[in-house]
Amino acid sequence: MTTTTAPRSSAPRRSSSRLSPPPPRQHRRLNVQRTLTSVVVALIVVVQVYPLAWLFLTSVRTEQDFANGDPFGLPTGFTLENYSRAFSTGNLALNILNSFIVTSGAIVLIVVLGMMAAYALQVLGFRGSKFVRGLFLIGIVVPVQIALVPLFIDYAAVNLLDTYQSIIIPLAGFSLPMSIFLFSSFYEYIPRETYEAASLDGAGPYRIFAQITFPLSLNTIVTVVMVNSIFIWNDFIFANTFVLSDGLKTIPLGLQNYIGAMGKVDWTATFAAVCVSITPLLLAFLVLNKAMIYGLSSGGSKG
Amino acid sequence: MLPNRSRLSVLIFLVPPLLLYAVAVLLPILQSLFLSFFQWDGVTDMQFVGLGNYVYLLTGDTVFWTAFLNTLGYLVICLILQLGGALLVASLLTMLRRGRELVKTLYLLPAVISTVAIAFLFQRIYSLEPAGLLNRALELIGLGGLQTAWLSDVSTVLAAVSIPEGWRFTGLYMLIIYAALLAVPQELEEAAKLDGASWWQTFWRIKFPHIRPVWITTTIIATTYALRGFDIPYLLTNGGPGQASELLTTYMYKTAFTSTDYGYASTIAVFVVIECLVAVGLILLLLRRKADA
Repeated sequence: MTTTTAPRSSAPRRSSSRLSPPPPRQHRRLNVQRTLTSVVVALIVVVQVYPLAWLFLTSVRTEQDFANGDPFGLPTGFTLENYSRAFSTGNLALNILNSFIVTSGAIVLIVVLGMMAAYALQVLGFRGSKFVRGLFLIGIVVPVQIALVPLFIDYAAVNLLDTYQSIIIPLAGFSLPMSIFLFSSFYEYIPRETYEAASLDGAGPYRIFAQITFPLSLNTIVTVVMVNSIFIWNDFIFANTFVLSDGLKTIPLGLQNYIGAMGKVDWTATFAAVCVSITPLLLAFLVLNKAMIYGLSSGGSKG
Repeated sequence: MLPNRSRLSVLIFLVPPLLLYAVAVLLPILQSLFLSFFQWDGVTDMQFVGLGNYVYLLTGDTVFWTAFLNTLGYLVICLILQLGGALLVASLLTMLRRGRELVKTLYLLPAVISTVAIAFLFQRIYSLEPAGLLNRALELIGLGGLQTAWLSDVSTVLAAVSIPEGWRFTGLYMLIIYAALLAVPQELEEAAKLDGASWWQTFWRIKFPHIRPVWITTTIIATTYALRGFDIPYLLTNGGPGQASELLTTYMYKTAFTSTDYGYASTIAVFVVIECLVAVGLILLLLRRKADA
């Protein structure tokens, strides 16, 4: 990792100094500084990531090893038995399916409605658009907890409690403003002339949206999808409040069941379940790493 | 504005998103405001109490004040870890020659993991019997005397439930600040170095003013997110032992769904919203004014 690259980068310089005059003092100081920086960064990263490595190691330990062993030690044996126990006690597969349904439902709403609102606000324009923007800004600052009691009462009144929609609606609603702002800040950069030319050719607002704005939005769509997927996949508070039956539980709720279901917590199996539950998102994150990092840093600085 | 647009086309694009937003966000906010003036358990008739809930909240409810102070403590710990940690790692990262992408990826990893998984993880990290990672690490470096059951010790529990939240998102803020630091023009930095400025001077006088707008945004995001923090304290301790790790959000949740006191819970929720708005206002006031000075 970083510690191993640092000495390697300084090695050729040392050998070349034998041929050329010795480097000025400042260079050597810079090298020391750089190595030190690498070491510090490596240490911070180890502290940051070690809990996750430990989580995985525990999930392949035997139960006795976990009970007696040193938490910093390597597992004495490798076993997948925890995983089979995790699948047989819980409803992991169903939980993952539910999470997929909720996440894709909310994401579709966020992307489609976000583009539509941004198109109306930024491209079409209308009197009072400033006011509407202000309304959407509220959703970014206000904490989600304010909606829990009213939505619970409203859902009970229209029989929506304990449905997929009951989680999808608030998740999409609270993520919509950020999506609208990301799309509108991108639409600002589409040149006016493009639209004017299309209008002269007789294209109406719907055709312009379908044939110009939408195809140009693809990159922003990727950003919006990825940033929101993380938060929606991991949502706990809405699911915990509005979903009661086991058949609809998403991954976070399913995991929570591992404590109650077994009385005495079966930690190695629980950690195996945790590992399974984080795998889909982790894989997506590692594969789409570059795009996601880009999305997260630009999403934050634009918000 | 598009030349050929009609009023109808604006409505067709605007109404569906606005409808969802109204149902999910705007209406509930108004309902909460409305409910906060009533006493209601969801079953019997609603009873109008005027400002009664607010008066009790501010003058009679000791749990509320404990929760409020805990929330401030939670906020401070989260901000130190998230913003301080982010700034530190981001500026160290700009000095690295290689491995920047790897560090960014690894540092961001915890942000991908659900709060329930994190709660399980930290329950084991803090465990005393058998010794979890933290207590074992203390023993290894010779500080075994400091071992304690971090989650049931009244004096440590608030920090113990705040740290996972800080740890989780520090990578996210690091990415944002790192991107801002990279955008600082190299010439400025080099000119300062030629003039004999130290590393520290270069950082505070040149780099930091340059990233101030991003710093303000990041502070606002981190603060509002910390103020709405709920999952980890709720899952790890449910506010306990006693009220030692009770936050306003967990208190509100329990008032609503354990004591089914919808009216009073809405009052607490309204207070949390006001608290967020005040915090954003304060940040803008303090950080902007410094920029002018």
